[in-house]
Amino acid sequence: MGLPKLAITPAKPDKLRALGVIALNGMFDEMDALGVLRYAIEEVLPGDIAIVSSFGADSAVLLHLVSQVDRALPVYFLETGKHFAETLAYVETLRQRFGLTRVTALHPDPADVARFDPDGQLWERDPDSCCHIRKTEPLEPVTAQFGGWVTGRKRYQTAERGVLPHFELTSDDRIKINPLAYFSDSDVNAYKAQHGLPEHPLYDKGYKSIGCAPCTSVVAAGEDPRAGRWRGFNKKECGIHFDFNGAIAKPMIGQKNLWKDGAFTADPFRAWAETDSPETARYAHVPVDVFLRNRVAFLSNPHPIGLHVSPADQVEQVEADLLRFASIAIAFPAFTDGRGYSTARLLSERFGYTGEIRAVGDVLADQVPLMRRCGITAFVVTHEPTRRALESGQLATVNLFYQPVGTTEVPVGTRPFLRRAQ
Amino acid sequence: MYRYDEFDAAFVRERTAQFSDQVRRRISGELSEDQFRPLRLMNGLYLQLHAYMLRVAVPYGTLSSRQMRMLAHLARTYDRGYGHFTTRQNIQYNWPKLRDIPSILADLASVEMHAIQTSGNCIRNVTTDQFAGAAADEIIDPRPVGEILRQWSSLHPEFTFLPRKFKIALTGSPNDRAAIKFHDIGLMAALNGAGEIGWSVYVGGGLGRTPMIGKLINAYVPHEHLLSYLESIMRVYNRYGRRDNKYKARIKILVHEEGLETIKAQVEEEFAQVRGGRLTLPQEELDRIGAYFAPPPFKSLPVAAIDIAREKILDAAYGSWLENNLHPHRVPGYVSVTISLKPIGAAPGDATDAQMEAVADLAERYSFDELRVSHEQNLVLPHVLVSDLPAVYVALVEAGLAEGNAGLISDMIACPGLDYCALANARSIPIAQEISRRFAAPERQKEIGALKIKISGCINACGHHHVGHIGILGVEKKGTELYQITVGGDGTEAAAIGKILGPGFEAEAVPAAIERLVEAYIARRQTPDEPFISAYRRLGDAPFKEALYGTA
Ligand code: SF4
Ligand code: SF4
Repeated sequence: MGLPKLAITPAKPDKLRALGVIALNGMFDEMDALGVLRYAIEEVLPGDIAIVSSFGADSAVLLHLVSQVDRALPVYFLETGKHFAETLAYVETLRQRFGLTRVTALHPDPADVARFDPDGQLWERDPDSCCHIRKTEPLEPVTAQFGGWVTGRKRYQTAERGVLPHFELTSDDRIKINPLAYFSDSDVNAYKAQHGLPEHPLYDKGYKSIGCAPCTSVVAAGEDPRAGRWRGFNKKECGIHFDFNGAIAKPMIGQKNLWKDGAFTADPFRAWAETDSPETARYAHVPVDVFLRNRVAFLSNPHPIGLHVSPADQVEQVEADLLRFASIAIAFPAFTDGRGYSTARLLSERFGYTGEIRAVGDVLADQVPLMRRCGITAFVVTHEPTRRALESGQLATVNLFYQPVGTTEVPVGTRPFLRRAQ
Repeated sequence: MYRYDEFDAAFVRERTAQFSDQVRRRISGELSEDQFRPLRLMNGLYLQLHAYMLRVAVPYGTLSSRQMRMLAHLARTYDRGYGHFTTRQNIQYNWPKLRDIPSILADLASVEMHAIQTSGNCIRNVTTDQFAGAAADEIIDPRPVGEILRQWSSLHPEFTFLPRKFKIALTGSPNDRAAIKFHDIGLMAALNGAGEIGWSVYVGGGLGRTPMIGKLINAYVPHEHLLSYLESIMRVYNRYGRRDNKYKARIKILVHEEGLETIKAQVEEEFAQVRGGRLTLPQEELDRIGAYFAPPPFKSLPVAAIDIAREKILDAAYGSWLENNLHPHRVPGYVSVTISLKPIGAAPGDATDAQMEAVADLAERYSFDELRVSHEQNLVLPHVLVSDLPAVYVALVEAGLAEGNAGLISDMIACPGLDYCALANARSIPIAQEISRRFAAPERQKEIGALKIKISGCINACGHHHVGHIGILGVEKKGTELYQITVGGDGTEAAAIGKILGPGFEAEAVPAAIERLVEAYIARRQTPDEPFISAYRRLGDAPFKEALYGTA
């Protein structure tokens, strides 16, 4: 957030400017989106404002407002090359319907794509890098040209946005205008209805928050609309440091319980639900028996899925299909149930599975080092002291080992069964 | 004996630091008792009736005098001046304070000792023959392999949360003094066709509420594959052992319910995968560890005969000590001496700090600095010159440790029972004391000969009553303590589980009942040399049943 950061910004002019921006916030009625927008475009930064739109499920409202103030406002669309065809069609629909004259598609540098994403699968391997070459890089030269940006962010969307004002000063000294800051979900719907705005074609199919095709999934009823974004990745930030538009820039946000690579990250996966279908499920940990019963359907399902292994399951039964899983969750229903340790070793050592192996259930600090040795690389942790121990790096651990376990420990000294963690 | 190198020392240091931190978190309330429990158990800390109890591992029962002195120091400083040697070749302290545990562990670490895995559902301290490396009848000294097993099983990440505790025992002698067939895994040195030494592996033995004799799962596993084979068994057990009922969670139940053949097939399948892998034990490694256990510099002496008859006339007590407490040594001129921790009327296995110091002194002077703890709760000086015996005896008399009753009726095993143990149904130490008073006279004990009485205060059978020639089990019936008597158990290679012949006895009636069994035996034995257990096997239940309950 821009405002709190001001307190530690020493430059005096910024502070003055910030005070000015704060003053702007008192000028408009909370719901006067049009007034905010008009004042910004005509009075505050005439000719120096642009908008980045995702042309997603709730982009129509903001673009409709823009069209009432200035049809020639520069509107940028990140044409990542990964969009749904429906989204591209929707860009055309809205452009024509609202008479927007300066809609520009920003394409990634073909050289970057050829170099970093030759097979088009970078999104799956490394979404942060994918977003970087497809969004951050193309946007960078454009951001420099404008002193203000219009965003579609709303307060209600996340706790973190609960204090979102109409006008904000960013840390890099630009002004962000959030005309819809006070709009609720129903305000948005009411506005759409009142003005007969066209819906994104995928909206009715269950997509509530729409970005690139591979990184968007259907949101279950009652789920945070943004839960559908970046399902399947431990994606931290989009990499776009200048947050133009929530719908584009922010990855999904939620309680971060997944400890991986030294940090708690948002967990893209969820548990398998009765209502999930083997053909279309994505980013769910499928129980072994469900997988075995629907093996063919799961194997032809194109989305990333995971496997959920209960203590009594025999992983041997899915040995041939392990490559199918982006993540394997090993259940520890009670910390005293040690079967998962054998499971983990079989997966990593015998079957050579190199994807994420995570421990779920009763995961406690004192078990984590043992789990790691057995090949478990991620931990879903809710136990508070354990979370603290992980975050402060204070796991009580013995780093010298008397037996060869795992795939990364190296011998120390002469004894064949003495090892030390790498 | 084994000496820690830097690695071992650092390992124990880290572990001590780790557990100290856990203790701190428990004291500060950060860890609940539920969360602390498995952690403290893995470090040998139990919560008992009165206080915490710390169990210190004596790996394969071997101690140096320096270590014994440290045990004495701990008894003096942190306990009430004594320690209790257990049937697992461990020592227990019954009164340490939680806040002292880190210091105790640090003290132990300074003499290369620890309390790791003396409890909890993990692989426990490995036990072996108390005469290992000394006995005339052994084909291999089991301690190097014992040490390798200790290392391999220490904080094994895969096998720290097993369905239940797991005990491994091994013997290098065909005369099994380590009760290997009553362990989850028992290893007995064996020869293959080419005359090479390896191991026969028994699985699924155990006592407790469902006593079972271990079954031979593999007649010959060579040294190099031993760890792979054991890891295979462990993995099968960890994955398939029952976890729904803690009374059915030991591997003996798995073997019993699934059948030996099924388990064997699973183990073989697993073994086929890991055989020849990283756990393969190179001969150099075995030699390297073996070098630590190289025989001490024995003198080359003629065979020394001891004229026990003559000694007995001169000093009856010394005579019977010589008669009972010596074990043949493989080197002429030496013997192994059993120091009985069963003085008449005392708690079996207890030793005071002063006694521990005295024993340490003796080991230093007369036994190449070596000591052993036996699973029968006695101590052993493994290598004593025959010519030093008088001096050793005098010193033992002074320390109150000269009871010449090893292997006799008063050399009983008894668990702590109701006096110390939270699980107990009945007292066991007072029963042992009563019996030993009744048979106190040395002539009487000699007349009876070899007879092992073992007493447990509850069905958990820590006192190994199932394998006592006469076993006594405390049970609770309608609020009173009753004692069930079993006959015919045997913990050796001729393994047998004792039989219950009828209803239990009240505490006061137990010594007389034992006496009746003894009388029945003496009356029917073929010669004075026929031991109780042989006579029982020959005669069957009937005379003993009659002795206990009269004729119907
Ligand atoms: S949203 Fe997904 S596909 Fe789009 S740029 Fe980011 S990672 Fe790539
Ligand atoms: S046998 Fe029972 S009473 Fe005796 S020590 Fe074991 S648990 Fe306690």
